[in-house]
Amino acid sequence: MSKSDPAFLAKLSKESQEAEKLFIGNIASRLGRSAISPLPAHPFRGAPEFWTSYELEREERIARFMSNWQAAGGFTERADSMSEIPDIVARILGELNAKSTIRQNLPELKQLGLEERLPELRHDAWDSLDAEGSLRTAEQADAGIVLADYAVAYTGSMIVMSSADKGRSVSLLPNILIAIISADRMYTRLGEVMSRVAAVPGDQFPAGIHFISGPSRSSDIENDLTIGVHGPGVAYALIVG
Amino acid sequence: MSKPQGSNVKERAKSALKDEFLIDAVKFTTERLKNGKKAATAEHGNWEEWRERGRQIRLHTIAHLDYYLSQFIANARAQGVHVHFAPEAKDAARIAVEIAKHRGAKSVVKSKSMVSEEVHINEAFEKLGIESIESDLGEYIIQLANEPPSHIIIPAIHKNRYQIAELLSKEAGETLPPETKILAGFARRKLRDKFLEADIGLTGCNFGIAETGSVVIFENEGNARMVSTVPKTQITLMGMERLIPSWDDLEVMATLLPRSATGQKLTVYMSGITGPRRENDGDGPEEMHIIIVDNGRSLQLGDPDFQELLNCIRCGACLNACPVYRHIGGHSYPGTYSGPIGAVLTPALNKNTQEWQDIANASSLCGACYEACPVKIPLHDMLVYLRNRKVERGYTASGEKMAMQGFKLLMGSHKWFRQAVKAGQIGQKLLVRDGYIRSQIGPLGGWTAYRHIPALPKRSFREQWAGLSSEVEKSIRPMPDEMKKRMEQTVQARGKGGHHA
Repeated sequence: MSKSDPAFLAKLSKESQEAEKLFIGNIASRLGRSAISPLPAHPFRGAPEFWTSYELEREERIARFMSNWQAAGGFTERADSMSEIPDIVARILGELNAKSTIRQNLPELKQLGLEERLPELRHDAWDSLDAEGSLRTAEQADAGIVLADYAVAYTGSMIVMSSADKGRSVSLLPNILIAIISADRMYTRLGEVMSRVAAVPGDQFPAGIHFISGPSRSSDIENDLTIGVHGPGVAYALIVG
Repeated sequence: MSKPQGSNVKERAKSALKDEFLIDAVKFTTERLKNGKKAATAEHGNWEEWRERGRQIRLHTIAHLDYYLSQFIANARAQGVHVHFAPEAKDAARIAVEIAKHRGAKSVVKSKSMVSEEVHINEAFEKLGIESIESDLGEYIIQLANEPPSHIIIPAIHKNRYQIAELLSKEAGETLPPETKILAGFARRKLRDKFLEADIGLTGCNFGIAETGSVVIFENEGNARMVSTVPKTQITLMGMERLIPSWDDLEVMATLLPRSATGQKLTVYMSGITGPRRENDGDGPEEMHIIIVDNGRSLQLGDPDFQELLNCIRCGACLNACPVYRHIGGHSYPGTYSGPIGAVLTPALNKNTQEWQDIANASSLCGACYEACPVKIPLHDMLVYLRNRKVERGYTASGEKMAMQGFKLLMGSHKWFRQAVKAGQIGQKLLVRDGYIRSQIGPLGGWTAYRHIPALPKRSFREQWAGLSSEVEKSIRPMPDEMKKRMEQTVQARGKGGHHA
């Protein structure tokens, strides 16, 4: 059973509608209103004005991203074009002794030609038609390869947005993450990506939008930094352009 | 010793102060977090402007919470989320349990959620025989120790690695060395299986974005991503005040929260989750529920003294800055939240006036919490308001009441006052040594147990005033009008809460 019984959900929905009236009504009345506030003007929306004009030059952006990503415990490489990426990926996989990869089901990643270049490794692409199988494959794969939707230099973050071809598991379950980032999609500030995210229409809005800023880490034991707790412990950012 | 014992803050603090491990561990880690914040905010620059912007966004959202919450609900539903309402803690547990039962769930895997601690969700699941596992490393450790979190950000801050190794060894069935890497590695392997077999993933929520109905979660380990990616059903517990209007506003919160909490530019993962998986997606939950929890929060709305409490973004910076928390640790406070925010939030949420006596006094009112707060909540003022209410409602200890009545009598009449000072000047002769009173006899003990009282001078200030006043008259300069006006405005605004558009 993958979804709840419709009758059960209908019952919950009915209860929810009734409870909502009381819940929101109580908030409005505590705030001194008899009805819900109309659309309020929001004069302080977003970052302070002095910040919204802050922009780094292209090379500065890339340098800043790389230094942040490294400071967080990740590794970076720079390539002039996508044609250099297969060599770099093959080298990384070799160095880390990876036996298998899973990638987002994207033409750019298929064109890396990993199957031909490293035939001794197992290579899979995310397949949403076989959801259970893909999840298991991702869980067992040594490396996940993704194409970043965006990146932010100031915080050293890359962004992946989920879709049928871009399973969230690819950037999460394997112990090695290799993210390919086009320099053209790298911005200075978080806000530049936020406004692009917010502009996506509701019916195309991705279920999962993930800002990733290095390898998984924890400081829960004596505040001593440990890398690779639940997510990938090795995180590569390959910047193209 | 595992957890400080005692029925009130004073007793628990006394017991905590005897635990050297605890004191060292808490001091060490809070110091590190505090320094991390200091470095990160200095590097970012213009911190005061960011704080003020964060405060304005939170003030605005709470002032229009009915609007933004309705907008959030409508947008979340449009993305296929089932939204539920929990006026009280028990309602949240009831709804979560009802969903789990209907799904025939055998196990729930959880990421960090302070609200889930508030509503005791683990106990509710376990009563039904449903396994409920914490997956945040710190939460996992304290779950094994059967203790509540003692810090908002670092739940196991009070444990050192030897104690943690002992706990995890028991779970592993073999002796694990007290090495962070090995201990974390064990937790990773153990919990990986739990993620894969869990029927339900339960998460908290750092921010709800009204304009898209998205739930935003900040974390470093990736466990919240696991919880919201692998299980078929996701339940998110959200405090009703967690909202921000827009993604643009998230940039401000993302600037303030990680820097204030751990000194990071951004947590390793910041995830925006908007509804269950789309029709053609291969992972993410197939069904998503959001339970919106009040549990005493709405009582703060419309209360000029405490409404700003709802602005809190749960970064823990006030704990790290607080000289009291740093000494006595989180378990000395009653309830889920500790430190300065807990001292105000716990009585506010629980309506428990009698407990105010206890917690509101566990503070030196130094204001370090306000200085540290990324959204400028005047916690030290709120502690004074709590004390005021305690007195108004008659929960003062009888000795203190008598002393205050005596004080009122003396201060109400200059004759009484003069005579009392005279009596004191004569009476103190027996007690004064080297200009100080050290005796702990009778009512003096409450003060002199920790410090000395300076002796009354031979000639009091009042007796000297006749001569002093003419000197003052000569040297005084009139206050500039502008300054006078500003001070009058400050006095008028006092106690009226924050201002917002």
